Amino acid sequence: MILGLLDPSFLGDVWSFARDNRDELVDALRRTLTVSAIAIAGASIIGLTLGAARAHRIPVVSQLAAVYVEVIRNTPILVQIFMLYFALPQIGIRLEAFTVAWLAVMIWGGAFNTENFRAGFEAVPTRYREAGAALGFKGIATFTNITLPIGGRIALPSSINTYISIVKNTSLMYVISYPEITTVVLQINALTLQTVEAFSTLAISYLLIVWSMSALIRILERHLALPEEAQ
Amino acid sequence: MSTPDWVEPVARYVLEVGLRNTLKLSAIALVGSTLIGVTLGTLLTIRFLPTRALIRLYIEIWRGLPILVTIFIVYFALPAVSSALRFDAITAGAIALILWGSAQVAETTRGAVQSIPREQHEAASALGFGWVGRHAFVIMPQALRRLLPPLVGLLVNIIQNTTIVQIIGAPELLESAERQVERLTFEGEQHAIEIYGAIMVIFFCISFPLTRLSAYLERRLA
Repeated sequence: MILGLLDPSFLGDVWSFARDNRDELVDALRRTLTVSAIAIAGASIIGLTLGAARAHRIPVVSQLAAVYVEVIRNTPILVQIFMLYFALPQIGIRLEAFTVAWLAVMIWGGAFNTENFRAGFEAVPTRYREAGAALGFKGIATFTNITLPIGGRIALPSSINTYISIVKNTSLMYVISYPEITTVVLQINALTLQTVEAFSTLAISYLLIVWSMSALIRILERHLALPEEAQ
Repeated sequence: MSTPDWVEPVARYVLEVGLRNTLKLSAIALVGSTLIGVTLGTLLTIRFLPTRALIRLYIEIWRGLPILVTIFIVYFALPAVSSALRFDAITAGAIALILWGSAQVAETTRGAVQSIPREQHEAASALGFGWVGRHAFVIMPQALRRLLPPLVGLLVNIIQNTTIVQIIGAPELLESAERQVERLTFEGEQHAIEIYGAIMVIFFCISFPLTRLSAYLERRLA
C-alpha cells in the first residue's frame, strides 16, 4: 500500500495533477515566495540592528530587544498570528491577511535573527577590534569594517536556517485563509479529492525550496569561511 | 478587585481541557521523538550505505516539511491511502510531531555518538560487548551528556508546536481558547485579546524556564 507510492505511474499522477492546476499552484507558490522574501528582508534588518545593539550593550535598546526576543521565542508563532489577525480587531486594528502573513513571520524571524547576529558579532575576537582601533577606526567604522563583515559571516549559516523556518512558517497562514501554497492545495483537494496527488505536490514544493536553501548554506559555508577556520 | 464573570468558566475550560491536552501531547511527542530519534541517529553512524541513505532521507523529509504539512499528510492523505491509517486529531498530531521531532533528535544523536572517541568503542569491544551492548551501556550514557541541552531545547519547540494541531481541531490550549473566544463572541462579548494574551503568558511561563535550563546545561556540560 505504501509501496504503491513507489510505483512509477504515481509520479506521473502527481505530475498531471500539478499540470491540471498549474495556474492556481504557480500563483500560490508566488505568494508563498513573496511573503517569505518580504519577511526575510525585514528579519535581516531587524536582526542586524538589534543584534548589533545587543552585542554592543547599547542601553535601553539592548534591554528592549532582549524582551522582544524572549517574548517571541517563548510563545508559539501560531498564537502570535491569532493575536495579530483575530484579537487586534477588538481594539480597532484590522490588518489584511497579506499584511499579517508577512508581518507575523517577519516579527518571528527578526527575534531569532537578533540572536543569530548577536552571537555572530560577539564571536568576533577582541583583537580584531583592537587592531581596528590601532588603525584609528572610531566606533561606527570599527563596526562596519570589522565586526559586521566578520560577525556577519559567522552568523550567516544560522540566519539562513532562520530564513528556512520563515518559509516553512508561511504555511501557517492557512489559518487566516491567505492563499499561499498550503491554503490553495487544500482548496484544490477539497474540489478534486485527489488527496494523495495534492499532498505529494505540496510536500515536493516545500522540499524543493527548503532543500535548495540548505544547499545554499553548505555552499556559502565553504566560500565565506574565515581564513583562520579554513586552515 | 474582583474578576469579571466571564473569566472563571474560560479559565476552567482552558486549563482543564486545553492545558491538559497540550501537556499530554507534548509528553507523548517528546518520548516518541527521543526513542525513535536516538535509535535512528545511532544507526546512522553504521557505515552501511542503504540504511544510511534511508535514515538520511527520513531526516531530510520530516525536517524539511512544515509541521502543518506533515499534520495534513497524516490526517488527510494517509486515510486516502488506506482506511486502516485513519487517526483522530490528537493521535495524528502526535504522529506528525514525532516524525518531525525524531528527525531533529536523529541528527543531534549522530553528532553526539560520533563525538565519543574511538577508544571507548575499542575498550567496550575488548570487554566483550557486542554492537548493541556497546552502544547501550558505554557510548549512549556518554553521548547523553551532549544530547541533554538540545533535548531540552526540543521540548520547548515541541510544546510550542503542539499549537499547530489546533488547525485540525485537537482541543489543546489554543483550540480551547478559540472555542471560548467564539462562545463569548456569540454571547456578544469581545475578549480575544485577554484570552489569547493569557495563552501567550501560559506558554511563556512554561517555555522561558526551559530555554534558560537548556542554555545553562549547554554551558555546564560543554
